[in-house]
Amino acid sequence: MATTKLGFIVQRPGYKSENPKLAFTHAISSQTVEIYLEDGDVLEPMVALVGEGVLNLKSGQKGLEIYGLTSTEGHIVNALLCDVKIRACSEDMERYGLTVADVPDAEAMGADEKVEMVSWDDIMKEMESCDHLLFF
Amino acid sequence: MKIGVFVSDYALTVDTLDRMPSDKMGIVLVQNGVYHAAVKKDGQASAVLDKASQVYALREDLETRGYTEDAVDDRVKVISYGDMVDLIFNEFKQSAWL
Amino acid sequence: MSKLTIGCFSSLVGSMSLDFAVKLAETAVEKGHQVDFWVSGNATMVAKTNAKDFQDYSFVAGRLKDLMGKGVQVTVCEACMESRGYGKDDTVEGMNRKSMDWFLASAFDADRVFHIGGE
Repeated sequence: MATTKLGFIVQRPGYKSENPKLAFTHAISSQTVEIYLEDGDVLEPMVALVGEGVLNLKSGQKGLEIYGLTSTEGHIVNALLCDVKIRACSEDMERYGLTVADVPDAEAMGADEKVEMVSWDDIMKEMESCDHLLFF
Repeated sequence: MKIGVFVSDYALTVDTLDRMPSDKMGIVLVQNGVYHAAVKKDGQASAVLDKASQVYALREDLETRGYTEDAVDDRVKVISYGDMVDLIFNEFKQSAWL
Repeated sequence: MSKLTIGCFSSLVGSMSLDFAVKLAETAVEKGHQVDFWVSGNATMVAKTNAKDFQDYSFVAGRLKDLMGKGVQVTVCEACMESRGYGKDDTVEGMNRKSMDWFLASAFDADRVFHIGGE
């Protein structure tokens, strides 16, 4: 039984580039990776939003209504529903004028996970605890 | 082991590099990132070169852009793709592509 | 022998990051490492057949075929391909079409993961 922890580090806002969204969709696919693994093996994803990446968290996104594609917010909610750990850098949240009230919440839909705002130092510790990092 | 931070741009659009502790990373300049190793802007060497004690630049990307090892700042070690693979496996537990 | 999983999301032709990733894979293989190569997003265009080899444009199809001949698994995100209009019949022979969990599974037991995700 082995556990591998992957850190998905999102540094950029979404939409102009699809890559920040792909960080979430790849993290969500940890739900189905077990078909490739041995029984008992666990892949643990962690998404950290840093720098301008915290802008992905701004709720009220209308990507679906306006452009007809799933919003990054929608992917974030799905990620929370899939128990993906999401951490947002608190210093960057403040720098870009975001508060807890702006952040998507999936608790009402039954999610156990919430987006947690933590310091950059704590994000560094999370990164160090990962086996591999994927920067977006 | 450190994080290998692969800097691929000259004008960086993310501030991640500024925030990483210098003792926890080695910097590898690749693609347009090699300009940090060889170009002095307004007579000044790039501030990226001060951000870590280990700074490397990929020879193939320097030469692609017309720079030889002679043009590279003394603080930078010029490496090949082969050296870079060795760094990835032997020096850097994790990699970050900026 | 150690395993390197490379993921590249950067487009073919429009950027040279994919060329970099292919050269990294080639060098790692030459040094005796096992390599898995995953492409997603715009990088999936590398799997499209009938790309022309012009001097002025990146062309890595031949090199990826050589890598596959040396045991490298080149796997392409199926959804990313289909959303761009490339179907199964457009895919270069030998390249796998899988969903994203394949990449995570490859990363699971890799000794090193090298991911190019920005563009």
